[in-house]
Amino acid sequence: MTSSIRFAGRAGLAWRTSAVLGAGVLALAACNGDSGAAPADDEPTSEGSSSAAADNGDTGNVEIRFSWWGSDDRHTLTQEVIDLFEEKNPGITVVPDYTDWGGYWDKLATTVAGGDTPDVMTQEERYLTDYANRGVVADLAELGLDTSMVDESVLTSGTIDGKLAGVATGINAYTIVADPQMFEDAGVEMPDDETWTWDDFKQISQEISDALGDGMYGVQDYGGNEAGFNIYARQHGESLYAEDGTLGYSDATLESWWQDLVDLRESGAMPDGSRSVEIAEGGPEQSLLGTNSGAMGFWWTNQLSAISSAAGRDLVLLRPPGESEFDRTGLYYKPAMFYSVSATTEHPEESAKFVDFLINDPEAGALILSDRGLNANTEVRESVSAQLDPLEQQAAEFLADVADEIVDGPPAPPNGAADVPEITGRINEQVLFDTLSAADAAAQFTSEANAAIGQ
Amino acid sequence: MSVVSELSQVRKKGGKRKPSALHKGDGKAAIFFLGPWFIGLVLITAGPMVASAYLSFTDYSLLEAPNWIGLENYTRMFEDPRLINALKVTFMYVLISVPLQLAAALALALVLDRGLRGLAIYRSVYYLPSLLGGSVAIALLWRQVFGADGLVNAVLAWFGVEGQGWVSHPDYALGTLMILNIWTFGAPMIIFLAGLRQIPQMYYEAASIDGASKWRQFRSVTIPLLTPIIFFNLVLQLINAFQTFTQAYVVSGGTGGPADSTMFYTLYLYQKGFASLDMGYASAMAWLLLAIVAGMTAVNFLVSKYWVFYND
Repeated sequence: MTSSIRFAGRAGLAWRTSAVLGAGVLALAACNGDSGAAPADDEPTSEGSSSAAADNGDTGNVEIRFSWWGSDDRHTLTQEVIDLFEEKNPGITVVPDYTDWGGYWDKLATTVAGGDTPDVMTQEERYLTDYANRGVVADLAELGLDTSMVDESVLTSGTIDGKLAGVATGINAYTIVADPQMFEDAGVEMPDDETWTWDDFKQISQEISDALGDGMYGVQDYGGNEAGFNIYARQHGESLYAEDGTLGYSDATLESWWQDLVDLRESGAMPDGSRSVEIAEGGPEQSLLGTNSGAMGFWWTNQLSAISSAAGRDLVLLRPPGESEFDRTGLYYKPAMFYSVSATTEHPEESAKFVDFLINDPEAGALILSDRGLNANTEVRESVSAQLDPLEQQAAEFLADVADEIVDGPPAPPNGAADVPEITGRINEQVLFDTLSAADAAAQFTSEANAAIGQ
Repeated sequence: MSVVSELSQVRKKGGKRKPSALHKGDGKAAIFFLGPWFIGLVLITAGPMVASAYLSFTDYSLLEAPNWIGLENYTRMFEDPRLINALKVTFMYVLISVPLQLAAALALALVLDRGLRGLAIYRSVYYLPSLLGGSVAIALLWRQVFGADGLVNAVLAWFGVEGQGWVSHPDYALGTLMILNIWTFGAPMIIFLAGLRQIPQMYYEAASIDGASKWRQFRSVTIPLLTPIIFFNLVLQLINAFQTFTQAYVVSGGTGGPADSTMFYTLYLYQKGFASLDMGYASAMAWLLLAIVAGMTAVNFLVSKYWVFYND
C-alpha cells in the first residue's frame, strides 16, 4: 500500500515536470504559428500527448488517472477505494495522482495547459465554473452517469449552462459550532437556535467574553469567509451571486454584515485584528474553540470532528443566527467537492464508470464515509450512517434536521469566482485593522468582486 | 569568459606545437561539455522566456489557448492598485533590508578577520542562516518566533513589555521579513572575508606608521580597497531581494497579508498566474520585474564609476 502511494507521488512529480515543459512547448508552438492571432476556439489540449500517456498498458487494459487533494488519511482511504474498484473491474487500472490543497490548483491548471488533463478529477465549487466554461470537463449526464439517488438541490450546484459539469461528492453546511462547556463556565444559557437573532448572537458573545475575562472570547472572527455573508444575504432575500452570474446583494446588506463584525470586535466579544489574523491562519487546531478560549465560531459541518478533537471535548452544531428574523432562511447545503471527467479523456466510459462507483457503490461509500462531506447519494448515506462516529452522526443529523428549512441551493458561482475568497479575506483584514469602515469595505468588495467575475 | 582567455594565454606561452590539432580536439570536447548546459539553457531558460514574452501579449487562462490582445496587459498594470502596492512593498523591503544586511555582513567579516581561534567554526555558524534563510522551514520558524505566543514576545515579557502578533499585524509583518533577510548575511559575509584577505598588510603598516587610528585605517584603507567587493555584493543581493518569494509566501500563508502588507511583487505575480488564472498578465508582470531589476543593476553600474575603486 505505502509503496504504491510513494511511487505515485514520484510519478506525480514527473507529470508536473512534463506538464510545465509541455506548457512551454505548447506556447512555443503557438509562437511559431501565424503572427499573433491565435485561434480562440482552438482546443487547448493536444490529444496526442494525453493518449500516449494513457495507453501504455497491455492491450485490453485501460488506464485512467484520478487526481485529488487532501491529507494523508484521505490518500490512504482513497487508495483502498481504488483497490476495490480495480478488483471489481478487471481491465481498468486507476492511477492515483494527488497533492495537498495548496498545490492542487497550480498542478491541475498546468497539466491542463500541457494537454495532460487527468481523466477523473476532483473539483471545487469556486473553480468548477472556470473549468466548465472553458470546456475542460465533460457533461456527466451525456456520459450516462446515474444520479437518480443524489439530492436534487445538490445536483443543480454542479450544473453549469445545462450541463452536469461535476457531481457532488457530499454535502456540508456552514454554521455555528458552539462549546456548551464554555457557556456553562460563563453562566450563559445556550440559545434557541431556531429563533435567535443576530442581535441575540452579538449579546450572547459579549456576555461570555465579559464573564470569562482576559483571553477568552464569545466568538471567533468569521468575516473572512464569504459563505457567512451568503447566508446573511439569503436571509434578506438576496444572495451573494444571482442566477444570471452577477452579484445578487445590495451594498447595504453587506455593510450591515461587516458592521456586526466591527461591533463584536469593539465590544471585546471577538479578538482584536492581530490575534484574529493569527488564529485564522492556524486552522481548527488553533481556533478559539480548539484552544478552549472561545465559545462559538462559524465552521463547515464536516470540521466538527477536527475541532472537537482539538478542543478535547464534544462541541455542538447550532443553526446560524437570524434564520427566522428576516424574509427567509439562509442556510444551504454546499457540495463538499465534485467529481468531474475530462472532456478530452481517451476513456470516457471507464472514467464515468469510476465516478459512478465513487458516488453510488455502497461498499465505496462505506470506505469513504464522510471524508468528502456527508454522502450526496441519500441511499448510500443511510447505509453508512451507523458506521459514522458520534460527532459525524451529529453532523449528519443536523443536516437532516435542517433539510425542510432550506429553501433552495445557491446558484453555481460565476466565472472568476475563484478570486472572491481572496478578496473577502483581504478586505476583512482591512476591516479588522480599521483601515476600512464597514461601508467602505462593502463598496470595495462589490467593485473588486465585479471586476473578478467580469461585470 | 576570463577563464577562457587566461587558458588561451597559457596555451600561447606553452609553445607553438600543433595549435590547430589541439583546437580540433578542444572543439569536440567543448561541445560535449557545453551540451548539457546548452540544452538546459534552451529548455529551461530561453524557451520559457520566449514563451512568456509571447504570452505577455495574450489573454491566457492556462485552460484555453492564448488569445492575442496586444499591449493590454501592460497598460492594465498602470491601473492596478494592488500591483502599485506590491511594488511599494517590494521596494521598501529591498531598499531597507539590503543595505542593513550588507552592513551586518561587513561588520561580522571585520570581526572574524581578526584571526580568531576556531575561525572556521564561526564562519560556518554565521554562514548557516544563508543556507537556510530561503527555506520553508525557516519561514515557518519565523512565524512561530514572531507570533503572539512566540519567542520574541516571551523575551519582551521579561522586561514587562506586552508584545503582539508581529507577523499578523500589517504595520509589522514586513519588518519581520526584513529581519529574516538581514539575518541571512552569511553569503555576503564570506565574500567580504575573502575581500579583506586580499588587502595587502603593508597598507595598514604604512598607515599606522603615519599615525592613522584604527577607524581612520578602516575608512581610508579598508573601505576604498573593498569597494569592488561591496559593489559585487550589492548587485547580487539587490537582485536576490527583488526575487524574494518563499519567505513571504510561507510567512503570510500564501496571502501576502495581513491586508497586503507582505504582498511582494513575485507573490502577486504568482497569485495572478495561478489563482486568478491570468497567466498573460502574470507574464507581463514578469517582464516588468525583469526590466526593473535590469534597470536597477544598470544604474548601479553607472553610479559605480564614482565610488568603486579598482586597484589595478
